[in-house]
Order: sequence, then C-alpha cells, then structure tokens
Amino acid sequence: MRVVVDQDLCGTTGQCVLTLPGTFRQRKPDGVAEVCVATVPQALHAAVLLAASQCPVAAIRVIESDTGDGERASADPAPSPAEAERHAAKDQRNPGGHDGTV
Amino acid sequence: MDAQETTAACRDAFAELASPACIHDPYPFMRWLREHDPVHRAASGLFLLSRHADIYWALKATGDAFRGPAPGELARYFPRAATSLSVNLMASTLAMKDPPTHTRLRRLISRDFTMRQIDNLRPSTARIVAARLDGMAPALERGEAVDLHREFALALPMLVFAELFGLPQDDMLGLAAGIGAIVEGLGPHASDPQLAAADAASARVLAYFGDLIQRKRTDPRHDIVSMLVGAHDDDADTLSDAELISMLWGMLLGGFATTAATIDHAVLAMRAYPEQRHWLQGDAVGVKAFVEEVLRCDAPVLFSPTPRIAQRDIELGGVVIPKNADVRLLIAAGNRDPDAFADPDRFDPARFYGTNPGGTNPGMSTDGKIMLSFGHGIHFCPGAQLARMQLAESLPRIQARFPTLALAEQPTREPSAFLRTFRALPVRLHAQGGG
Repeated sequence: MRVVVDQDLCGTTGQCVLTLPGTFRQRKPDGVAEVCVATVPQALHAAVLLAASQCPVAAIRVIESDTGDGERASADPAPSPAEAERHAAKDQRNPGGHDGTV
Repeated sequence: MDAQETTAACRDAFAELASPACIHDPYPFMRWLREHDPVHRAASGLFLLSRHADIYWALKATGDAFRGPAPGELARYFPRAATSLSVNLMASTLAMKDPPTHTRLRRLISRDFTMRQIDNLRPSTARIVAARLDGMAPALERGEAVDLHREFALALPMLVFAELFGLPQDDMLGLAAGIGAIVEGLGPHASDPQLAAADAASARVLAYFGDLIQRKRTDPRHDIVSMLVGAHDDDADTLSDAELISMLWGMLLGGFATTAATIDHAVLAMRAYPEQRHWLQGDAVGVKAFVEEVLRCDAPVLFSPTPRIAQRDIELGGVVIPKNADVRLLIAAGNRDPDAFADPDRFDPARFYGTNPGGTNPGMSTDGKIMLSFGHGIHFCPGAQLARMQLAESLPRIQARFPTLALAEQPTREPSAFLRTFRALPVRLHAQGGG
C-alpha cells in the first residue's frame, strides 16, 4: 500500500500528523502535509485508511498496489474513504440523501 | 423540556438560542429543532442546519456548493459592514475567504501551527499551567473560592498566545479584555450598543497591532507577527495591510474564548462525572479521548458565525435552500445527533478511545463519525491542534493538583447565542474529613 497527499488540496490542519506521526509530516515553510514512507507497512494499513477518511479536505489518497507492478488505485474496485468523501463533497444533488458518505 | 413539546413551530431559531432558557441549557431546544425542523429557515431568511449528516456535508462542500461573501456584496450579508469596524474586520478574515485567496493566506500562518511548532510550545505551556495552578493554590487551601474561568481557563490561552505572537504578557492581558465585547457585537442579534462596544474594542486592538507591526518590522523575532510582517514587506501582493491586520485580529478572536470555554467545560465534566476521571490519570491516549468528548458534548461555538452562501438551489431533507441564501450550521446540535453518536447526551470518552497503533483518531469516533467542533473542510480550525495541546497539558494537572476541586456556586454563563462560554466559574476545594 502507498499513500499520497494532494498538496494543492491540503488544508494544513495537521490531522494526519496527529493520527500517524511516523507516516505523515508537515513541510516546514507552509505546513503542507507530506508522506515520509515509501510504502505503508501492513500493520498501519487500517490507520492510514483512517487518516485518509478523517482528513478535513480529503487530500489523502490511498493506493493499494500489492507488490504488483501495475499501480491499481483503490478507487477502481471500491472507493477509498478519501475518494468517497471527495465525491460526496462534489455531489450536486440532494445532499441530504447521502447516507453512504459517513 | 415542556416548552419544546408544546411548540408547534419556531419562527426564528437564532432568537430562541439567545433566550435565557437556551443560555442556561440550549440542548433541549436544539434537539427539538433537529427532530422537527432540521433545515430551519428563520424569519430573517437565514437557514440553520442541525443534523450531523447535513452539517458534515455542508462543511465539506464549503468552497464548492457554498462560498464566502464577495467584497462587493458585504452590505447584503452584513448590513452593518458600512459603519462597523468589527463587521468589516470579520468580513476580511480567513473564515470568509474562498480559494485560491484562502489557500494562499492560510498557508502563511500554517507554518506556525504545524504539529512540530505546537509540540515546541508544549514545555512552555506546561510551565504556564503549573504557575497558574500554583497561583490559585494558597486561596484554595485557605478554603476560599477562586474563579477558575478568569484565573486559569482564560489566562492560559492568553499567555500561550502572548508567546506565539511575541508580545509581553501584560499587553496580551490588556488586549484580551476587549475580546468578549467584540465577540458579542458580532452575533446575528447584537444590539446597536453591543456593536458600538465591539467597535471601540476593535479600534483599540487595531491601534495596538499597528504599533506592534512597526516594532516587529524594526526588531523581528521568531514569532508569528514578525513572520507575517516579513511576508507582507517582501511581497505586498501576498499579504495586504488589511489582510495582515484582520488575520491577527481573527486569531485573537478565534483562539481565546473558545479554548477557555472548553477548559471550563472539561472541569465541569470532571466534577459531574467522577467515574470518568480515570481517563485523566492514565496514558496520553486516554487524556486525548477525554478532550475530544468534552469538545463533542459542549461545542464552544454553537453555530457558525460566518455566512456560507449557497452557490445554487440546494435541496436538503425536502427543503429547497435557494441560491444566494446564507446558511449557518448548528454544530452543537450535530455533535449530539443520535444518528452520529449513540446515546448522545451521555459523556463517554470511550467513543474516542481508538485502537489506532499510531495513537489517536483526532476528531473521529471509533464509529467513524466526525466531531464537528473544529469544523471540517477548508475552514477547519487552524488552532485546533494548539487548543488540543493546551487542554491535554491542563486537565491531568488540574486533576492531580486539586483532586477535591468542587463548584463553589453555579457558574455564570455569558449571555451569548452562538458562543457557549462563561463569565465566572467559582471553585473551591471540597473539605476533607479530619482536615
């Protein structure tokens, strides 16, 4: 599993650093989050999904590439929490009926 | 409460929230509203959302389905902006900006609110906490009552801000004296005299910041004001004079009263639920869980004071919110929505005691629900981690230092519709047998 932060989207809240200080850090000049590991160890998979789902601006994307060469974004078979949230935020219609987003 | 059961409809929830009954305890009314009129349209035309799912959606959709007021339409959303300094300042704070301006300005201050910087403030915060508790000890040990709100809850964030801003403690205490008046003047139902008092206080804060900026320009230090002055002087396109001042004013306004109220609420929770105090006597994860539950149960900002303007017609729960309507979010009601937090009126830090191997799940319950008190989306509170740090450094020390702390009399609330805070919280040590 890999994890990336969309640095244009990052809201610099520090939530991910609080959740997983060893996996995320904040750039010194502007507080934008960055990932400090190449791949996420198995033991932290659930915690990284958690960090992605609680990011206030859904800037964290989880990429599930199980050692394979082809990078398969987790959004294909099932949206990651971050993706789901982003879609929810963009949803134009009937936001009240969005029970599936939380 | 009986009153709510017999109320068939509510004309203006904002007015109701300002009533003495709601100042005393707003939760019965907020429950009624959430159950009967969750997409409320007040007589003034303002909308108020009170369900967790709707608030959560609206917070995330800010910058997209909702926007802040454009400079040219301030008069429409803030009829008093033309004459009121405070309203004008509020209209130019970060909370009212949209991307990309919002992103640009927010990143200027983010440097000083990173987790690393917050952790750097931890030792000095611990020293301030210990000194304030030492200061309260003699009177308490003589059996006297002490106002915990003034002596501790308000003093701590002020002194931490003095450090962050790089200004003398006495100056900060002087500045902070006007904050309450400003906050009140900005409420949606503020009277003319309240707004005038707010403007007088804002003028004093502005004059002080004007001098401070000059001092930091000639003698820059490692503080947030020096850094912002540097950013302004290097490239005035990046940070205008007005933005610089309103940013400092906004931090002052957003930081004090909210943190103080949460310390007060935490102390009240420690007294009301002695069976939950063990969270403060164990590991740091337990302390954090206690802090999150205090924030959930008693959101200091009951509803959002800044407008979210609908970019298009939005249908929510069968109600159409028309394009350009001003939508406010009743955060405190969302935090007590049983659809998000089971048995929501029960104080239970276990909701936030996660099994995350890295530590905690800040702001998210073990059921995956977001605690709304810091907001969500692009305007998520920039001071959230600073506030959490101050609470985590305070509460276990209060508990350890004064384990028999008790209320000396009922606390006095500030009569504010949107900010749930205190005027006084008198405490004393509970007499021990044989003492």
